[in-house]
Amino acid sequence: MKSIYLFFAIVCLSHLSNAQTVPNFLLKDIKHQMQSYENLKGEKLTLIDFWATWCKPCIKAIPELNEIYKEYKEKGVNIIGVNCDGPRSISKVEPMSKALDIEYPVLLDIDSELRIDLDVNYYPTLIMVNQKNEIVWIHEGYGYGDDKLIIQQIEKQLRND
Amino acid sequence: MSYYYKSIQLSILIFCFASSLFAQFSGSNLGEFQYGRLPNDSTSVATVYDRIVTSYSFGSFKTRVVFEGFETGIPESDYLALSQFSIRFKKRPFELEIGNFYETIGRGVLLRSFEVPGAILEDHSFRSRHYFHRDMLGVNARYRQSKIDMKFIYGKPLNYVFPPTIEKESRRPDEIAAFYIDYNLGKQTLGAAMMTHVNGIHRDNYSMINTNGSLFGKLSYYTEIAKNISDHELDDFSRNTSYGIYSNLNFFTNRLGISFEYKNYNRFVIGAGINEPPAGIKEHTYSVLNRSTHVLQPDNETGYQFELFYTFLNNSILTLNTSLAQNKQANTEFIFEEYFAEYDFIMFDSIDMKCFVDFAEDLFKLEQQRVSIGFNAIWAMLTNSSAEIGYQNQRFDRLNQRVQNHVLALDFHYAPKWSTNILYEYSNDPFLTERTSARWLGVGLRHKLNRKNSLQVFAGNRRGGPACQAGVCYEVLDFSGVEIRFTSRF
Repeated sequence: MKSIYLFFAIVCLSHLSNAQTVPNFLLKDIKHQMQSYENLKGEKLTLIDFWATWCKPCIKAIPELNEIYKEYKEKGVNIIGVNCDGPRSISKVEPMSKALDIEYPVLLDIDSELRIDLDVNYYPTLIMVNQKNEIVWIHEGYGYGDDKLIIQQIEKQLRND
Repeated sequence: MSYYYKSIQLSILIFCFASSLFAQFSGSNLGEFQYGRLPNDSTSVATVYDRIVTSYSFGSFKTRVVFEGFETGIPESDYLALSQFSIRFKKRPFELEIGNFYETIGRGVLLRSFEVPGAILEDHSFRSRHYFHRDMLGVNARYRQSKIDMKFIYGKPLNYVFPPTIEKESRRPDEIAAFYIDYNLGKQTLGAAMMTHVNGIHRDNYSMINTNGSLFGKLSYYTEIAKNISDHELDDFSRNTSYGIYSNLNFFTNRLGISFEYKNYNRFVIGAGINEPPAGIKEHTYSVLNRSTHVLQPDNETGYQFELFYTFLNNSILTLNTSLAQNKQANTEFIFEEYFAEYDFIMFDSIDMKCFVDFAEDLFKLEQQRVSIGFNAIWAMLTNSSAEIGYQNQRFDRLNQRVQNHVLALDFHYAPKWSTNILYEYSNDPFLTERTSARWLGVGLRHKLNRKNSLQVFAGNRRGGPACQAGVCYEVLDFSGVEIRFTSRF
């Protein structure tokens, strides 16, 4: 009964929610240099990819995101990789990023600060953010055909711009 | 108590309704219904678990409220609890958070808190379920600029073994106060921490130094040395002192990445286990390997891990890994060693193939000559659909018995909304079954209703055992029945 009560409370509240925005976060990059969202975000759109080294679909998505980054960076779209590895595997982030030849910036979220702030519960999760810092699209997981879906959404958001 | 919780919920509802135009309200919900049996259950039991996370931002302030509830019809197992509440103020370069928060010092040798996304922890003795996390309850103050990062932490870490049905004092037996600072000198960073830990009548002081940086553009390093300074001199690293040493060296060049880690931990379990030094053992995604991983013993462990990644010009990836862990207990030495290789490549333009082979000796678990092999193939079929098949086999000797584990998985994925899978497992491990063999068969379905809501259904038998996720190892119980999970964001 209590669970049902809570469920209905949330359903009611969900109708009041505004578009969630991304705060101007501050995280260290793989070179341990502090970076802010304001400095990294794209002119028109920003894709934030939450990933981990032990997550196979995340690794599968990275080469596709790299291609998307190369194609769209001149069109005002930036990608920020947010790595969520804990102490056990965070040492592998830099060598893996280099081996995968990731061209976009990769930040370290070892305390899950941004992940919890944006309520990310799956790996990988791709969050698309517009110029007003509003989250306009969220995609969880990565499988065959998802790269086309991401491109479709980018094109749609750029047309709306 | 019920009146108290309802009042809090009502206050939050009114507050959010009244201010929704001026601020931002967001959150998520995870609900799970189970009807089935855990090990030793004689009959099937229906249970409902729900976790609601709500966040409310207003200018520089943000509040986060998490409610958790579990119902099974057994009064001592049921609860509805305000499991987390925090208020945060952020005005760069200052940050202040009061309530429940997550914080790790360095690489976790002194202190680590975490949340494993989507994982619900279940303990048979309590017959209750709760979210898998270890947070802090207290105050976290931080000063962060481009060159300097300082934090003061005071709080009580959660002992996640106990569900919310247990009184608060037992769930948070440890109390810490810590100060951490690091300063960036161009490409090198130096850091230091002091921590006082109180558990009952015991009070210990710890110190830690760390350093990290880049060398020659192709090398990077990280070193952390922590020590209990209450009972021995700062430079005393003899066997009867408490210390943790962790070091990591990386090398990378075009398409090649190498990581080397060294660990040396001695009597370094702090309190109820509020720290979690890096394990230096690979966290595998293949279930036969993930399940049989070596769990770190910070009481006494030395060892290393070496991993190499190479991406070929055709984008195929080779991963090689080896690790060693040595534990001394009384006069006995246990050694765990592992050699792993994986090759990920594209076959016939449409099949994404992964193959692995692993060899390990685990004297701690009495597993000798453990050989695991397997593959995973994803076949891109039509425009938006793919089929996946995976098989894993593991064999080892234990106490003169030959143990075998088999895993067969079939998946079908139709982007972006549907995916379904069948998982079959077989084992003749006498530690798991009194019969000659045991079998598990389960069917799963996932449907994304829209971009905010998704539904997952599982039916059948699921094999339990040790599991490692997001760097944390825990025990999953066998389950037989039906499970429906609904997740939503708002």
